[in-house]
Amino acid sequence: MTTVIPFGPQHPVLPEPVSLKLEIDNDVVVGVLPSLGYVHRGLEKFIDTKDYNQTMYICERICGICSGIHGITYSRAVEKLFDVEIPERAQYLRVINSELCRIHSHLLWLGLFADGFGFESLFYECWKYREDVLDLLERFTGNRVIHSMSKVGGASRDLTKEQIDQILKTLDDLEPKVKNIEKVFVNNYTVKKRLVGLGVMSKQLAYEAGTAGPTLRGSGNAVDVRNTADWDIYRDLGFKTATEKEGDCYGRTKVRIDEIYESIKLVRNAISKLPDGEIATRVKGFPTGEAIMRAEQPRGEVVYYVKGNGTKNLERLKVRTPTFANIPSLLLMLPGVKLADVPIVVLTIDPCISCTER
Amino acid sequence: MPDNVIQNITEIKSMPEVLKAVEGMKGDGYRYVTMICLKANEGHELIYVFEKDDKLKHLRYFVKPGEKPKSVSGIYLCALLIENEYQDLFGLTFEGLAIDYKGHLYLTPNSPKTPLA
Repeated sequence: MTTVIPFGPQHPVLPEPVSLKLEIDNDVVVGVLPSLGYVHRGLEKFIDTKDYNQTMYICERICGICSGIHGITYSRAVEKLFDVEIPERAQYLRVINSELCRIHSHLLWLGLFADGFGFESLFYECWKYREDVLDLLERFTGNRVIHSMSKVGGASRDLTKEQIDQILKTLDDLEPKVKNIEKVFVNNYTVKKRLVGLGVMSKQLAYEAGTAGPTLRGSGNAVDVRNTADWDIYRDLGFKTATEKEGDCYGRTKVRIDEIYESIKLVRNAISKLPDGEIATRVKGFPTGEAIMRAEQPRGEVVYYVKGNGTKNLERLKVRTPTFANIPSLLLMLPGVKLADVPIVVLTIDPCISCTER
Repeated sequence: MPDNVIQNITEIKSMPEVLKAVEGMKGDGYRYVTMICLKANEGHELIYVFEKDDKLKHLRYFVKPGEKPKSVSGIYLCALLIENEYQDLFGLTFEGLAIDYKGHLYLTPNSPKTPLA
């Protein structure tokens, strides 16, 4: 006989509200029904009242963690409509902003994850290190959460020599700290007992389920938007895709840790190659046509669709966020999992519900 | 300025052809990315987006006024969320949805009806 147990919308491991109706048989999940709608804000409708430049600021507010990458992706989508090439320096500044976002997002997730399996001191460590990156972003952009670093046509702020030195010093200090927490996540006996072999998705299943980001790469699929033609700059910076083949909670964790190191490397390389020059191109007129732009956020691929009709307002903005792509994978990962392990599996998709519902 | 900068887009004329094309995409190893819905000539336009080897491919289908498009969640399970979203926001009805929230994925009974329609 099965019992239905609600998981959420308010739950200690969930920073944002989402509900799962879990069908349980003898302490094991046999069915899942996700419910959304607790934080739907209608942002795709709200942009009807904003012009295409103001819409960038709305897009940044889709998420409080990867706000910078939302702004950058939207800007690039509209730049496609205008067919404009932004200055090279602006492209590098966008990479630096994006990768710093990824580092603090992954440290945030590692902390939440540690908290989820009851390792409080590890949670404190991760969040303490994350603060260093947030301080950096505050000095660099003026804000901890909403950076407004990007605009249609390029970057809205430049980096000074002092700021560049601060970034490099912070990353030099951060790297050994990440190595310390990596040892615990990867080698600790108790942590491994909780994560290895849990919430397994095979390579093919993860791909067919339309997952994105570390959820997809943790199952051995080397899919990362930073490898696409739209993001050639990453190839110049020596980007390498992080993958793990286990397909379990342990594999998804290792992907995120590897990505922190990769992001540190990318920021250093971007700074070493940062060209002089302008940071923005002037964009004139109103957008027409339609464009799709993708970017790799910390949680995975985000997709922006924009359609302009020659007026100052966009006719349509559609945003598909990575958690939106990853929620259906819970229908495949959770059956067979014990009730006590459900929070761990749910956390490994790094759910961002504000993003999902917009 | 380009009128249309979406590459690799195929126009499809009927719903059975859409299902056949989507099945073909799955058979060819494409990952389902998302679907975009737009208002168009009293009806709606659906753009299905797929990815393989870091490249996107699109299918475009025009939904006539009053037409109920078929769900592709039987082919790609992950399509169920976006199809439910468009039931909420555009008032479309997808037939054969794997899980049907009946217009209440996001919206409550007191919410504005079909806000993007």
